[in-house]
Amino acid sequence: MSLTTKTEILSTVDRARDELAAMAVRVDQEVLSAAASFEGLAKHAGTIMNLTAAIIGCVASEDVTSVLAKVQTLGSATKIFIGKQLQATDGILETIATEGKVLGQLSAVAAVQEGIALQIKLLSVLTNVEVARIGIMGTGFQYLAHELASFANSVIEDTQVLANQIQGRRAAIEETRRTLTQELPLLRTELARIEADLGAALAEMEVSLGQLSSVPVQFRDCVQDIARQIAGIVSAIQSNDITRQMNDHVQQSLAFISSRMRGDVDADSGSSQELPLAYAGITIQTRQLRAIDETVGGWTSQIRACTRDIQRVSTSGVLGLGPTVLDQERRLSSQLANIQQLEYKSQAYTGRIQHSLGGLANLAQSVGEHLKRSRSVRDRLRLLAFNSIIEAGQLGSKAGAVLAISNSIKEISATWSGLTEQSGLAMKEVSGLVKRTNAVMEAFSAASTEHLHEAEGQTRKGLDGLRTAADFAARQANGMTAAVEKMQTKVAEVGRTADSLDACFSRSEAVLSELERLKHRLKADHPGERLGYDAGEVERLFSAFYTTELERNVLRAALAGHALPVSQATMAGNSVELF
Amino acid sequence: MKRVLAVDDSSSVRQMVNFTLRNAGYEVMEAVDGKDGLAKAGGGKFDLIITDLNMPNVDGIQMIAAVRKLPAYTFVPILMLTTESQAEKKDAGRKAGATGWIVKPFNAEQLITVVQKLVK
Repeated sequence: MSLTTKTEILSTVDRARDELAAMAVRVDQEVLSAAASFEGLAKHAGTIMNLTAAIIGCVASEDVTSVLAKVQTLGSATKIFIGKQLQATDGILETIATEGKVLGQLSAVAAVQEGIALQIKLLSVLTNVEVARIGIMGTGFQYLAHELASFANSVIEDTQVLANQIQGRRAAIEETRRTLTQELPLLRTELARIEADLGAALAEMEVSLGQLSSVPVQFRDCVQDIARQIAGIVSAIQSNDITRQMNDHVQQSLAFISSRMRGDVDADSGSSQELPLAYAGITIQTRQLRAIDETVGGWTSQIRACTRDIQRVSTSGVLGLGPTVLDQERRLSSQLANIQQLEYKSQAYTGRIQHSLGGLANLAQSVGEHLKRSRSVRDRLRLLAFNSIIEAGQLGSKAGAVLAISNSIKEISATWSGLTEQSGLAMKEVSGLVKRTNAVMEAFSAASTEHLHEAEGQTRKGLDGLRTAADFAARQANGMTAAVEKMQTKVAEVGRTADSLDACFSRSEAVLSELERLKHRLKADHPGERLGYDAGEVERLFSAFYTTELERNVLRAALAGHALPVSQATMAGNSVELF
Repeated sequence: MKRVLAVDDSSSVRQMVNFTLRNAGYEVMEAVDGKDGLAKAGGGKFDLIITDLNMPNVDGIQMIAAVRKLPAYTFVPILMLTTESQAEKKDAGRKAGATGWIVKPFNAEQLITVVQKLVK
């Protein structure tokens, strides 16, 4: 061995030791920085979890999940309400059509009655002429002429009143028919839209509330996941201490090799006794450095993976619960407002229909009065016809014309009687219509909307709870966003520190290469058995420097020429033994 | 609040012990080596001591032996938290008065469980 080689060995070994010492100082600084960033990260993750837990607590205490049943009840009440309104509107249209027919019949009756009134008036004039012609004998018929004139005037007046009433009703029902015909399709469309919207809102809500009910379980999983990732980082940061010690031990071993080489008086002669120990020691240290490299690679990548996972979990859907609750509340409140709007429209619509159909009752009253008068006229006509026929019969041939008038009155009486029957039938129909209308209007009554109001009240109470939770979530949202942003900053910081650590440890690659080169040169300079060493003695000497199981395994593997042992995963932590 | 003394020459390990136990509701004080640990143990009452083994000035086993001589620490649990796992070292720790032995790196949940068990 030449002097140059000994100097080279010492220089390389000392340089390697110094380089490792400098690296250890930098690594310590970087790990402290990583630990500080990690603490910040964990603090922000904790804040996010606490805010989420508070929202979940609020959702649970407000019994938000019971809102679904309440909204379902409201949905079915609204559906029934809508169905009844549509059915009633159809019924009103039918009523109006029937009333139109009845009005036509009444109108015809009134026209005929008016014609009869004119006939009666004419008979009254003829009777007066005949009374004048037959002189004193015809005095008794003066009453008949007077009665006929009076009937005629009364009937004309009565039929005109009825005709006016019919005219008014025709205009009213035409207006109602036109309104209903125009509004019914709109009403149908609007009701169908509300029904569809409510159905869609219910379906969405069912899904969302289903999600809400599973949130506590998912949240617990998130908490466990984050706790696991934090534990992983805690383990990884501690692993720095292991690699720091391993680094110290390599430095101590290199110092030991250096000291043995310096103390070897024969070293310069090329027959150094310490050369095999130096060779074995350098071989062991290169293996130890490789093990350090792998351990460091393991824990820096673990830090990265864990921070990524914390970030992923912290920004997951479960932790974004606030906006979900807010969205639910907004959608449902808007549906409730739609239903209320529908009710207001229905009230206005009901008012118009009630006003329109109210005239039917007046018509029934008028027709009833007309019928009553018509019956009275019928009876009196019969009596007049009967009396005048008897009286004319007593006068004999002198009263032939009066008899003819009396017979005409009898015929008119029969016709009137028929018309009165027709009026009676029309009256029955109008009465039937009034009953049907009352039944139809039941759909628009307060009793009919009572169930809907009750369901609305329940839903409103449920929504109050949801709103409380949503308001709370909204108030937490800012804090949550700020915590997520801060956490992301810390994640980036931890990532940068991990990069710096990787860069620090890359310097050990240079040390390793230098030691490997020295090892190869030694082997090349001293072929054969000259570098052979006593493995037991070398293990005894170097094992004193190593304190971890991994280092001892590396030492044994290096001496036996085996592959490096697999470094232990740090995530799970090590065993605990209580004495 | 229960008080824990964490003794380790590695500031990152001290920091992680402190972080883990603080979040579990303990008050944690740190000491940088056995000498510092002994001084702090003597200066105040702790419910648990967690110490490293290999430290400058006074090592973990020497510190435990000294702490056990303090009347207030006769029954206070002392955990070794070290990279060492050799049986003879563990035996030395036990003889010095250690209550348990945890090999680094520790698992946060396991550490909390052990501490909760020892500090009631």
